[in-house]
Amino acid sequence: MSSERVFVSLKVDTLSIVPRLDGDILRVAMSGAVEMRDPGDALNPYWTHIDEEALRRNLKTVELDVTDLNFMNSSGILTLVRWITRCKSHSNGYRLVLLYDRNVTWQRASIPTLAKLAPNVVVSAEIDG
Amino acid sequence: MITERLSSDYVEMRFGPRWTYISCVRRFVASFFMIGLSDKERAEQISMAASELLENAVKYASEEEGYLKISIAKADNEVDVCVKNKAEPHHINTLRRELALIQAGQPEAVYLKKMEEAAMTEGQSRLGLIRILFEAGARLRLDVVDGEVSIHAIFKLEAA
Repeated sequence: MSSERVFVSLKVDTLSIVPRLDGDILRVAMSGAVEMRDPGDALNPYWTHIDEEALRRNLKTVELDVTDLNFMNSSGILTLVRWITRCKSHSNGYRLVLLYDRNVTWQRASIPTLAKLAPNVVVSAEIDG
Repeated sequence: MITERLSSDYVEMRFGPRWTYISCVRRFVASFFMIGLSDKERAEQISMAASELLENAVKYASEEEGYLKISIAKADNEVDVCVKNKAEPHHINTLRRELALIQAGQPEAVYLKKMEEAAMTEGQSRLGLIRILFEAGARLRLDVVDGEVSIHAIFKLEAA
């Protein structure tokens, strides 16, 4: 197995997640919707794996792109809160960039708020999609 | 029987507490209010609120019963998203406490605090109500009659 294949894609119901290593930046693109009853069942271990691999490879940045995600329920938001909480606990970890589309109401409301949980390690970046 | 006066922007749906209906209702509500209000942002906020309230209802409903009721009261320039279901007394008490807590503080500070608390515990997120209050800017109201819970998310509309 090549080292890149450690970052595997995830497909659950209407949600799709595709990671791509780009130098020392890991770009993780989400699309579809997070609307499952218990998204944490799939997403918590997935984000944990991303976190551990990013640390192991000493990546500088992980970019989570939610611009193609048309909805995320509050249980899905909690999975990102858990990930951010892990990020915050690393003494010398990566920077987490949350990329969102300012024209999508839920993204414009939720993502900058999430970044406020850990302003030293998490930043939100908007696009005009 | 519907006894109240209905406007043309009134929709009511009743269905059993099945998770798979929620996304379908959310999309319908967004489309309906996109047309009715000509305001994409408001329509998406209303549909998000409907979705979060329905998720709670499906999780905590005590019987095979639950329905979404959405009414629009143009006279008052408001949209009232109401989800009604039977619930166990301990769930009702939890809901009362939850609502009192989130309405007592500054919404963003409460939201961030609840996120941090939720991350430290297992189980449900319990972020739905504060999300409606903070992200969608809605007022929340709880009515309980004979074990039937009605929770309202009330949106102020721009005056025409």
